[in-house]
Amino acid sequence: MANLISIKRRVRTAQNVSKTTKAMQMIAASKLKKAEDAALSSRPYVEKLTSVSRNISKKIDKDNLIEYMKVPKDTSGSLMILVAPDKGLCGGLVTNLARMLLIFTKENKKISYVTVGKKANGIVRLFAGDTVASFDFGTTLPSYDTVYPIMTIVDDYFLGKKVQDVYIINSNFNSVFSQTPVIHKLLPVSFDLEDSQAINGKALFEPSEDVLLPGLIRHYLEMRLYQSLLETYLSEQAARMLAMQNATDNAKEIIEELRLLYNKTRQEKITNEILDISGGMYAPV
Amino acid sequence: MKLALTILTPQAQIYSGEADEIIVPTITGEIGILPNHVSLLTQILPGELRVKNAGKTSSFAIMGGYLEVANNQVNVLGDYAIRAEDIEVAKAQQAKERAEKAKQEKASLEDLATIEAELRKSLLELKVAHRRKRSS
Repeated sequence: MANLISIKRRVRTAQNVSKTTKAMQMIAASKLKKAEDAALSSRPYVEKLTSVSRNISKKIDKDNLIEYMKVPKDTSGSLMILVAPDKGLCGGLVTNLARMLLIFTKENKKISYVTVGKKANGIVRLFAGDTVASFDFGTTLPSYDTVYPIMTIVDDYFLGKKVQDVYIINSNFNSVFSQTPVIHKLLPVSFDLEDSQAINGKALFEPSEDVLLPGLIRHYLEMRLYQSLLETYLSEQAARMLAMQNATDNAKEIIEELRLLYNKTRQEKITNEILDISGGMYAPV
Repeated sequence: MKLALTILTPQAQIYSGEADEIIVPTITGEIGILPNHVSLLTQILPGELRVKNAGKTSSFAIMGGYLEVANNQVNVLGDYAIRAEDIEVAKAQQAKERAEKAKQEKASLEDLATIEAELRKSLLELKVAHRRKRSS
């Protein structure tokens, strides 16, 4: 009975929580629109670029392969680029990434990490992994400039023959309700060179392979990387919007329950007071 | 026999459909692509890309990129492209003026590169739009 004030306090807390989550939900929703435009419109471009690069690597002579396409010898280990948001409160997004990475680490032992996003740092720390570089992900749409410093690290490790392959793990946006973590092999750019059907006629390169390929493959790598950032950003906003919507709904439910409890308790108190007074009236003197 | 053409940029899919002939500015000069063209990969230079289909020619302003031809499938991967009909001359003119003005003001080296790219883009758009107007 004396907890009337405490119930009221709890209602107020729940109201504040629901206000905050509602605001976060709205912010995520507005960011989602912009992110969706950016990520989904560049997706077909990146897919086409991938298939063009793939076709090319099948059509050139093995002697003409550029460094990005060669499998490095006398070296082991992998470089893993882990893309995750800076902030939490986005449902199972980060956990799912961590779970995916856990499976990967079981098969590949020697991994160096490049982290993008503060949550990525957390994941790597969890695995006691070795981080060679870490970048911020930011809370706005990633700009293309973010790609260059990452590529510098990748170049340093791959072209410097410190690792034999480079992977990237990020969240892929399927729909607002579903985002799945994916692992891509970024380097070496080899698309089943042993494939028997690969040799279906040589292609013409104008002016020549060694002029075209480095630029094209570089462009492919950058776009692929950038697309990963966009997809993750988009996933983050979608996941957060949904998580915050759930949180708001839950808070509203709690408020309802507490209100009911408050009213009941209040009524009970009044009834008891009346009983007290009327009891006092008829009491024998 | 027709060519299947797709023009893609990171911003949007600009064109997808059939074509009889494609004329595209490349690093080795302007080339025309007809059906049954040999497999080809080349780099596109900024300029006007023309698509002939069923007697009609449509123009696109393209800011460089790559061109792939394989089995009558033509893929144009442009850094930026716009259909000539969609170019708003006034808008392009405004962008050009803005870029020129910004260039005169003091700017960091990075900004300058962005401004120059913008300027080149709007100049190209204007050129393609004007040419189309003259011919029609």
